[in-house]
Amino acid sequence: MPEPTGRPAVATTRALRLQHVVVPGLLLLPAVGFLVLWFVIPLGQLFLLSLSDPRGAFVTYREILAGSVYRRVLVNTILVAANVTLISVALGYPTAYVLTRLKGFWLALAFWCVLVPFWISVLVRTFSWMLLLEAHGPINAALLALHLADRPLQLLFNDVGVYIGMVHVMLPYAVLPIYAGLLRIDHRLLLASDGLGASPWMTFRRVYLPLSLPGIGAAAALVFLLSLGFFITPALLGSMSNLTLSMLIENLVNERLVWPLAAAASFVLLAGTLLLLLIGARLLPVRQMTLAG
Amino acid sequence: MDRIAFKGVTKSFGPVTALRPINLDIAAGEFVTLLGPSGSGKSTLLNIAAGHLAPSSGQVLIGDRDVTALPARRRNIGMVFQSYALFPHLNVYENVAYGLRARRVAGKETARRVEEALSIVQLDGYGPRAVRELSGGQQQRVALARALVIEPDALLLDEPLGALDRQLRKHVQLEIRRLHQRLGRTMIYVTHDQEEALVMSDRIAIMRDGGIEQIGTAPELYRQPSNTFVAGFLGESNLIEGRIERILGGFAELATDELGISIRGVAGAGLATGAPAAALIRPEALTLSPEATPRLPARIEEVVYLGDILSIRLRLASRQDIWCRRFAGKSDLPSGTVTLGWSEQDVRILPIAPPGNPRPQSN
Amino acid sequence: MSLARKITLHALVAAVLAFLVLPILAVIPASLNSASFIRLPPSALSLRWYGAFFQDGEWTSSLLTSAKVAAIATGLSLFLGTAAALGLRRIEGAWRRILSGFFLAPLIVPAIVTAIALYYVSRPLGLVGTTIGLALGHALLCLPFVVVNVGVSLAGLDPILLRAAEGLGASPFRIFRTVTVPSILPGLVGGAIFAAITSFDEVVISIFLAGIEAKTLPVKMWETIRVEFTPVAAVAATLLIGLTLVFFLTLHATLLRSRRPKAA
Repeated sequence: MPEPTGRPAVATTRALRLQHVVVPGLLLLPAVGFLVLWFVIPLGQLFLLSLSDPRGAFVTYREILAGSVYRRVLVNTILVAANVTLISVALGYPTAYVLTRLKGFWLALAFWCVLVPFWISVLVRTFSWMLLLEAHGPINAALLALHLADRPLQLLFNDVGVYIGMVHVMLPYAVLPIYAGLLRIDHRLLLASDGLGASPWMTFRRVYLPLSLPGIGAAAALVFLLSLGFFITPALLGSMSNLTLSMLIENLVNERLVWPLAAAASFVLLAGTLLLLLIGARLLPVRQMTLAG
Repeated sequence: MDRIAFKGVTKSFGPVTALRPINLDIAAGEFVTLLGPSGSGKSTLLNIAAGHLAPSSGQVLIGDRDVTALPARRRNIGMVFQSYALFPHLNVYENVAYGLRARRVAGKETARRVEEALSIVQLDGYGPRAVRELSGGQQQRVALARALVIEPDALLLDEPLGALDRQLRKHVQLEIRRLHQRLGRTMIYVTHDQEEALVMSDRIAIMRDGGIEQIGTAPELYRQPSNTFVAGFLGESNLIEGRIERILGGFAELATDELGISIRGVAGAGLATGAPAAALIRPEALTLSPEATPRLPARIEEVVYLGDILSIRLRLASRQDIWCRRFAGKSDLPSGTVTLGWSEQDVRILPIAPPGNPRPQSN
Repeated sequence: MSLARKITLHALVAAVLAFLVLPILAVIPASLNSASFIRLPPSALSLRWYGAFFQDGEWTSSLLTSAKVAAIATGLSLFLGTAAALGLRRIEGAWRRILSGFFLAPLIVPAIVTAIALYYVSRPLGLVGTTIGLALGHALLCLPFVVVNVGVSLAGLDPILLRAAEGLGASPFRIFRTVTVPSILPGLVGGAIFAAITSFDEVVISIFLAGIEAKTLPVKMWETIRVEFTPVAAVAATLLIGLTLVFFLTLHATLLRSRRPKAA
C-alpha cells in the first residue's frame, strides 16, 4: 500500500523534470560516449596530424590540392564519381519506374533483385567481376565466340572495369531513393495532364519528370557521395596509373608512410563528402534523415 | 474505497493554464462525473488524480493520505482509458492479471481474482482470447476488469465510451451504473456527453476553461443552475436576456426591452440590480393555453412530432427562437400565433456566464 | 504507353536486374572448379577447394575471427544502440535531430578515412591485430543500424500503454520488461541482423586494423586476391554469400512473424 509523504507538489515537478533530463541522458551517454571516444577523437587526432608537417600547418593541404600529381588524382576521383552517378541514375530511373508499376510476386522478386546484392559484401561482388572480366573469363570468351572481338579485350585493371564494378555496387543506392520519390507522385496529376489533351511524352516531360527530380537528386547526391570515398572496387578493378583519392590515401599510408599527407588527403575527401551531403539534404526532405519519430 | 479531495489544485503547461484552483471533495463510494466541453480541463484533473500528471500547486488526498508527491504506480488507482490501452501482445487473462502480477500476487490467487473480475464484466471464459479478436465493447469490458481486479481505492474513467456506437454506449452506461451500485467503489468519470452524466452519476461537476462552474446532483444542476453556461449545458433551455429591475424576497424582475414585458422569476445567486441577466424557462414549463399568463405572443415556426411528445419551435417578437415541449395528446397539432404562459416558480433568473476561452489543446 | 515501348522498357529493366544479381553468382561455380587455377566456366566440378579451405589454418581462423568479431560488435551495438533509441524517444526538438544525425555519422564519413583514423590511434594502444580492436571498429558501423531499427519499432509503441502499465502498479523495470521489450523485439532482431551482416562484410576498416593474430575473412580474401588468384578465395566468397542469404531470410521471417501478435 502506498505510504504518505507529505511533500508539496513543487518538489514532484522538479523530480519529474529531472526524470526528463537525467534518464534520457543516462540512456544516451553510452552510445554518445563510445562515438566520441572511438570516432570523434580519432578523427580529431588525424586532423591534428594533417597539420603537423614541420614546414607549416597547411603545407600538406596545399600539396594535395595544388600538386600536379595529386590534382590529377582529385580530378580523376571526381570524374569517376560523376560518370558512375550518371550511369547509375540513368539505369536506375527506368528500373525504379518499373518497380512502381509492379505488384505482388513480380514486385517482390524485383525488390529482392535490388536488395540482396545491396547486402552482399562489396568485396565478393568486386571479386565476381574480376572473375568475369579477366582476359580468359566468360565475357571475353563470349565476345570472341560471337565474333564481336578479334582478341580478348582488356576489361580489367582499367577504367572500364572500375565503371562496371562501381555501377554494379551503386545501382541499388540509386534505385531506392528514386523509387521512394516516384511513389510520392500523385497520379491524379498525370490523369489531369492526360485529360487536358497532353501526349504521353508531354505528360512525362512536363509533369512526371519534374516531379521525380527530388528523388533523382537525392539518388545522385547519395551515389556521388559514396563513389567519392569508395575504395575496394577501384583498388581491385582499377590500375595504379589512375588512382582515386581513396586509393591514394591507402598508398600514402601503407606504401609511402607519409602520414600527414594521408591525413590531409582524408580530410579533403571528408570535406567534399560533407559538402555534397549538405547539397543533398536540400533535395531530400530533411525529415527522412532523422532516425527517431 | 476512499474519498478523494482536491485542495487548490492548479496546472499550467508553460504559459497555458489548464486548471484554475480546483477544490473538490468526493465522498467514499460516490460516483462523480466531470462534465464539460473540450479543453475544460476535465481529463487533466483526472490524470492528476491518477498521478500521471503532477499539479503545479495544491494537494491531492486519497482517504486521509496526501498523495500529491506519490507516483501513479503507488496510488492503487484503477484507470480506464478511452482507447482501452490493452496490451496487444498479451491475451485477455494476462491483461487483466497485469496489475496483480505487478503486486506479486500468487498464481492461484491471481487466477481466482481474474476469473472473478471477468465474471463481473460478463466475460467469463474469455481469458485465453487474443485482444484483437474482441469487439470494441468487449475490449472496453476487459479494460474495466483489469482496473477492477486490483481492488483500487478509486476507479477513474476517461471518456471510456467514446469509441462505441450509440446503441452500445447506452447499454454500457447502464452496466457501469449497475457495477457501481454493486461494488460501491469511488468513481470519477470524465465525459462531454451530458446524457451520459445524467444516467450514471451521483453528482456532476460542470467544468469550463479549467474551472468547476457548478457541482451538484442532476436535479440540482437542472433546476438551479448557477449561470447561463450551466443552464445551456444540461438539458434543453430557453434563455431570454434582459436587465435586472428589482430583486425582492427571493424573486427578481427582468426587464426585456424587445419583448416589452418584465419577466419575474426565482432569483439565482450573484445578481445585481441594473446588471444584465437572463431568464431560464425550460421547454416543459411553457404553456400554450390562452389563459396562462403573462400571455407572451409568439408564432409557431415548427412542430416536431416525437411520438408521445411534441417539440415546438416558436418565434418571439424579438426574433428569438424558443422551444416548448408538451404531451401530444389527441388534439390537433398547434399552429399559427399563440400566447405563451408560465408559472413564476418555474422561471429562474441567472447571471450571464462570460464567454469562454477557445482553447486549441486537449483537456 | 505503346506496347513496343513497354516491352523495351521491361526488357531493359530485366537486364538491369539480371546485371545486379547474376554476376554475384559467378563465384559459386568458380569455387567448384576442379582445376588448380581459377577459371570460369569451370572445366569440371569438384569440392576440393572447399576441402582446402577448411584444412587451411589461416582461412578457418579468419572465419572464426569474423564470427567472434561479429558477435562482439553486434552485442555491443545492440546494447549501446537500444539505450540510445530509448533515450532519443524521450527528448524533443533540436537535440533529438542533432543526436540522430550524430549516430548516423559513421555511415557518412568515408570508410577509408575512418579506417586510417582508427589505425592511427590503435597502433600506440596495441589494438591493431586484436579481436577487440576489430570489434570496436565494426561496432561504429553497426550502431546506426541498431538505433534506426529499434527507433522505428519504438515509434510504433503507443505511449498510453506505458501509462496504463504504470497506473496498474508496475515498476519502471517491469514496464520495460513486459511492455517495451515485446514491442521492440522485431526492431531488436532486425537491428542485430543488420549489424551482423555489416560486420561480416566489413572490409576497409578491417584491412587496416587486422594483424597476423587476428584478421577477418574478408581481409584474408583481400590479401589472397591481390597476391594469387586461387579458387579458395571463391570458396570464401561463396561462404559469405551463403551467410548473407541466411541472415536475410531470417530477417524476412522475423518481419513476417512480427505482423502476427501472439498471446503471452
